[in-house]
Amino acid sequence: MFLRLLFESFRRQKRRKSVALLAIALGMSIATAMIAVGNNIGDKINQELRSLGANLVVTPIEDTLDVNIGGVNLKPASEGAFIKEQDLVKIKGIFWGHNIKGYAPFLSDRQRIQTRNGEINAELIGTYFAQPLHYGKEQFTTGVRSVNPWWKVEGVWPQDYGDFPDQLPPDVLAGSKLAQHAGLAIGDQVEIGGRKLRISGILNSGGDEDQAIVAPLHIVQIILHEPNAVRRVSVSALTKPEDAFARKDPDKMSPAVRDRWYCSPYANSIAYQLREVLPNARVEQIRPVEQNQGKVLSHITGLMLLLSVAALLAAALAVSAAMAATILERRQEVGLMKSLGAGNSAVASLFLTEAAFLALTGGLIGFIVGAVLAHRIGQSIFGSTIVVHPVVLAVVLFAAVVVTFLGSAGAVRKAMQFDPAVVLRGDA
Amino acid sequence: MNRVHLLLRLLFKAAWVRKDRAFTALVSVAVVATIATTALTIYSDLESKLSREFRGFGANVIVAKTSGALSLTELASISKTIGADGEIVPVGYAIATEAASNTRIVVGGADIDKLRKLNSSWSFSNASTGSALVGARVAETITHGADLRLSFGKTSAVIKPAGLFHSGSDDDSRVYIPLEDFIRLTDIQPSTALVRIEGRPQEIQNAISRLSAALPQAEVRPVRQITQAQTAVVGKTRSVVLASSAVVVILIMLCMVATFTGSVLERRKDFAVMKALGASNRTVNFLFASESTLLALIGSAAGYILGCGIAFWIGKANFDAAILPQPLLLVPVLLGSVALALIASTAPLRLLQQIQPAGILRGE
Repeated sequence: MFLRLLFESFRRQKRRKSVALLAIALGMSIATAMIAVGNNIGDKINQELRSLGANLVVTPIEDTLDVNIGGVNLKPASEGAFIKEQDLVKIKGIFWGHNIKGYAPFLSDRQRIQTRNGEINAELIGTYFAQPLHYGKEQFTTGVRSVNPWWKVEGVWPQDYGDFPDQLPPDVLAGSKLAQHAGLAIGDQVEIGGRKLRISGILNSGGDEDQAIVAPLHIVQIILHEPNAVRRVSVSALTKPEDAFARKDPDKMSPAVRDRWYCSPYANSIAYQLREVLPNARVEQIRPVEQNQGKVLSHITGLMLLLSVAALLAAALAVSAAMAATILERRQEVGLMKSLGAGNSAVASLFLTEAAFLALTGGLIGFIVGAVLAHRIGQSIFGSTIVVHPVVLAVVLFAAVVVTFLGSAGAVRKAMQFDPAVVLRGDA
Repeated sequence: MNRVHLLLRLLFKAAWVRKDRAFTALVSVAVVATIATTALTIYSDLESKLSREFRGFGANVIVAKTSGALSLTELASISKTIGADGEIVPVGYAIATEAASNTRIVVGGADIDKLRKLNSSWSFSNASTGSALVGARVAETITHGADLRLSFGKTSAVIKPAGLFHSGSDDDSRVYIPLEDFIRLTDIQPSTALVRIEGRPQEIQNAISRLSAALPQAEVRPVRQITQAQTAVVGKTRSVVLASSAVVVILIMLCMVATFTGSVLERRKDFAVMKALGASNRTVNFLFASESTLLALIGSAAGYILGCGIAFWIGKANFDAAILPQPLLLVPVLLGSVALALIASTAPLRLLQQIQPAGILRGE
């Protein structure tokens, strides 16, 4: 009997039911889309913030001071200490290896450069451009192209050579200011330390590299006679904004607390793990980047959270209002049922079951629509998908039921307060 | 009783007799107006609020003289271009030799307080009552917190550290001393200015162009990683807020239209009675339309006020700076709500007009 009542109610009041269903589905797509976007915005903006470049820098502990003024490095390559290049690949093997978006080693020295217009003094910088490497079974590519995304090259990026090629001179980049100053152009050959190099592109970095020749690391190691040597490594890692816990000293923690610290992707814990795999290296936060990106990130996620809460409340109110509106119009039905002998609980259970059914269907439709919308937003703005976690479905369905119940309960109670006779006469 | 009086009475009674129906309609309009006002108010102020967050990244432009020192007129013209909110720290550099270890150190001369303010992300630890800022690596390899004995060719001085700093950059290998001491010791005037331009990405670009034009003798170099990240992050965040607000506002509008349409359709009996009593289609349309207009105006006015309040609070809570109400939004929000309510209430009437009043009254 109950099921039949329920079924007939849906069959005979298609329009009324579809209005309610539409409202619930719309409200729940808002909920799904906002939860998904709000949940993913942190990761997405964190990725965007990696365009700030490296947030950690690795240098040898034993190294002497840098003597660097206005982009001119006055420290000879032979002075100070080095990090072993072959150890660097271990960076990928730390606990938070997956959060390491890339690293770029650097080795540089001031060199005499023989050009077709004469001889000049300039910095020779060796680095990875996009060096393919593997750690264990994992293949990855790293270098300045991913770590310093603001470097712009007119012409072609050089390849990373393993050794000096026999035939053609290897490709290198010339800094834009150096090129302008020394009259260098793409395709020109220069000679450094008796080795011929070909300029394949002009680099515009906006920094000191604009006055230098940037070459593959291994070529520079050969020219400087420093095999396997690296002076500095820039590491770009996805980190969690620093808080008071992050700043604690791990050596003074209890083992359980230390584990928790070690397993959080703070810049400090990643630096700690880097020091474990690279002995004799000091790892420092690049503070302007690391300290501020956390602040920017937390404010953006905070904003999205507050906006999402506002949107969720609005959706809840809108759905409740829609439910209340449809039920308020049915007081005649309530009157009829009651005059036929139905108790309050029977009437309420019928209406609430209807509401639950609507909520579940509307919630499901809303979840699908919301997931598609979130996906679209992710694709069009960040060029990557926003994944809606399946748990959101459960949350949305639960929220849909709660909100529709809240909307209906008041209206059903109101409808039941009236005397059936009055309602049926149409006087209420 | 004249027509206006009758209309007002009809309107008032329609709302009063079915208070709950009027209330739900009012709530749905108010919700739309609130969320639209909140989203648009936040969106309009977001660029400047987010750009402020990039303050802590330090200098975003470096002005360097290719030869010679920056003159007072040049410094004044930089100050004028960047405005009162910007910061400028002229710095001179020289190489000194530390007496005990015979190590070369880069020494910078600058206004120490301004330098600290500009580089607020550096970590500072106070050492003693001196005046110099010592880079972390200098302290680690040479001074270990003690005084620094520096010789600059002909002159030499004992530098007392005021504090130690970590920056994660080349600056960790440097020592900064007050500018007047620097000039006295080295006879070098500052040739570089660290500049922070405050504002939105576009405003920063414009200021950089003006600086380049005003200082032909100097090189104006934006710190591209910061300006570029600021543009990317601010732009993307604005897009996300806009896209998600658009989704929310449109969906919630549809939700409101559905509620409104539903409640008008439920009033088919009212409609039929009016028609049966001799009202023309126009009169009925007018009556329903004015009822919805009234509801929409009250609901959206309430929603606008509430929305401004929410945006203000979100600004306070998240950015520590209030997002002020945008009076320009009031008219679009009011008009938009009224237009929506009119569409939502008059569209179903057209459907009803096709049915005979008698049919509706008989319950068909």
